[in-house]
Amino acid sequence: MNNIEIGHGSGGKLTRDLISSLFLKYLSSSELHSMEDAATINIHSGKTAFTTDSYVIRPLFFPGGDIGKLSVCGTVNDLAVSGAIPEYLSLSFIIEEGFSLNHMEEIVKSIAEEADRSALKIVTGDTKVVERGKCDGIYINTAGIGTIVRTFTVNDVSSGDVVIVTGTIGDHGTAVALARNEFDIETKVESDCASLDSLLTPVFDINGVKWMRDPTRGGAATVLVELSEETNLGIRIVEENIPVREDVQFIADMLGYDPLYLANEGKAIIIASEEAAGSVLEKLHTHPLGEYAVIIGEISSDFQGLRLKTKIGGERPLDMLEEDQLPRIC
Amino acid sequence: MNKTQDIIKAIHSLVPPDRNLKIMNVCGSHEHTISFSGMRSLMPENLELIPGPGCPVCVCPESDIIHAIQLSKKEEVVLVTYGDMVRVPSKKGSIRTDGINFRIITSPSEAIRIAESEPDRTIVFFSIGFETTTAPTAAILETGIPDNLFILSSHRLTPTIMEVLVKDREIGIDGFVCPGHVSAIVGSNAWNVFSEKYNIPTVVAGFEADNLLLGIMEILLQVKEGEFRTTNVYSGVVRPEGNEQARKLLDKYFKVSDVNWRGIGHIPASGLELREAFSDRDARKLFKLEEIREEKIPGCICGNVVLGKAYPADCRLFKKSCSPKSPQGPCMVSGEGSCNIWYKTYK
Repeated sequence: MNNIEIGHGSGGKLTRDLISSLFLKYLSSSELHSMEDAATINIHSGKTAFTTDSYVIRPLFFPGGDIGKLSVCGTVNDLAVSGAIPEYLSLSFIIEEGFSLNHMEEIVKSIAEEADRSALKIVTGDTKVVERGKCDGIYINTAGIGTIVRTFTVNDVSSGDVVIVTGTIGDHGTAVALARNEFDIETKVESDCASLDSLLTPVFDINGVKWMRDPTRGGAATVLVELSEETNLGIRIVEENIPVREDVQFIADMLGYDPLYLANEGKAIIIASEEAAGSVLEKLHTHPLGEYAVIIGEISSDFQGLRLKTKIGGERPLDMLEEDQLPRIC
Repeated sequence: MNKTQDIIKAIHSLVPPDRNLKIMNVCGSHEHTISFSGMRSLMPENLELIPGPGCPVCVCPESDIIHAIQLSKKEEVVLVTYGDMVRVPSKKGSIRTDGINFRIITSPSEAIRIAESEPDRTIVFFSIGFETTTAPTAAILETGIPDNLFILSSHRLTPTIMEVLVKDREIGIDGFVCPGHVSAIVGSNAWNVFSEKYNIPTVVAGFEADNLLLGIMEILLQVKEGEFRTTNVYSGVVRPEGNEQARKLLDKYFKVSDVNWRGIGHIPASGLELREAFSDRDARKLFKLEEIREEKIPGCICGNVVLGKAYPADCRLFKKSCSPKSPQGPCMVSGEGSCNIWYKTYK
């Protein structure tokens, strides 16, 4: 038996075998091992962040990660940019009948490794199996709970604030596009898929940090367009300052993508006061994930919407795209 | 001050204060650079940069698209064409939505490979575009194509359409930025007619913003001096005589013909069809294709956009019912189409 069978999702013996031989082998929390219908967890009395996400990425394995690692990073990052320390994670699998158990094991291993990195406890989960052709290999749903240590709100964003990005943009989108093997291109581009809590938590302490977001689907431009809409403020970003790997830019040009709209899975956009910017960058630069952190723009009350100052000094508006450049990117 | 800023400064100082100028680009890639670099925001107010007929799929007549769809429905046929072409709408749908046996290719040599791997089927290569794409089609004809491969030629000539534009006083073109890729084939000399016969400052430019700005500056210099010439600021790629071998092949396999342009109408001597000697390769002859009357798309002003008489944003469908996901007119389809470019770069 090397593949997932319908019985693995039935709740009977095969399900129990899968839990004990695979999930409990790699996932170590006592809450999970108690095998109750619901995990009992302690939440401190302060504010709590609670998030959920689903992962349907194609392909399941890509340079720099896989759907398992991605599902942990994505959830951790949603908590981290909300000013929370990630603590608990739930994990639900929807698996296609016939899915390789070896692949399943690789995915669960990735999940365990990534959760350990953030000292995140996986406390509850579920497995369902659907017939062949009814899902594309495996889908993962998560929920995450974290303790809020700093509250960020768009209401604090004001004219004169700066826009910081923690590193190069478009890596994930490019790596996944290439991993689909639809283009005959060989490169070393890897997904930036990473948990950002250890990068961002130290920044929580800096006064003048106002808002954060991880620019996943839709990329950096989409996040900033949303921010400008929520604040009714203008955002001007400077093309020359936006960090894009040379190979990512080359591939994007070739395939007609714009890195500003390509997904990232290990980057954050931080809005901070001009005075705080130096300290924020200093902290970010001490972390490997923040080595290339840089100011890419500023908030202005002189106009509304997102604008790009181009390399020749021209200006043009950036809008949301009608649809994702690449569907099923996370 | 860097070089780019110096050129922009020069452009401002050269523009005559007392008149409005229109400089037309005739290449989708030029319009792409202009729009994506925000170049218009840097120009003096009385200098307009207008996009012209630079997008190959935008001018392909509806009749040919309908023929392509119908051919793809024949059991024995496989229609092959370029990616953008399959998405261009017609009153009978697009090749993608209504075609059956069709494949996307990126070069004519792929058409040969498909024909060789499927010898029992009739492969029809819907070959469209300006001189840039005609040359590779002529090249496969020269090297020899399989017996089951036929050409549905819908090629158009850039200099001819430009001459139509010049004669249309409503547009009023004060300068041409001629397409770099087409010029590489036809040569910068092909545009001399505009500077010599029509007194229009003319430049051949490449696709980097700096090079385009240089071209614009050169046009303004000519305006100021009142002396008109065709200047090549893309001389690393374009020679005065162009690619002589490619031109010879074009002439060997294709003859100039009277054809329709989408949204524009019938223009004498503006297209290319296979010469009689190669009519056994001509899909039009094989399938006895007759011209189908074009129907106007309600509200769509693509024809005027191609002619430089209107900007994409002037269209009432723009960013409403017409978008890259559901294009109503041909200019919204391709990354070289003005409406598609403006969709992404203008609010």
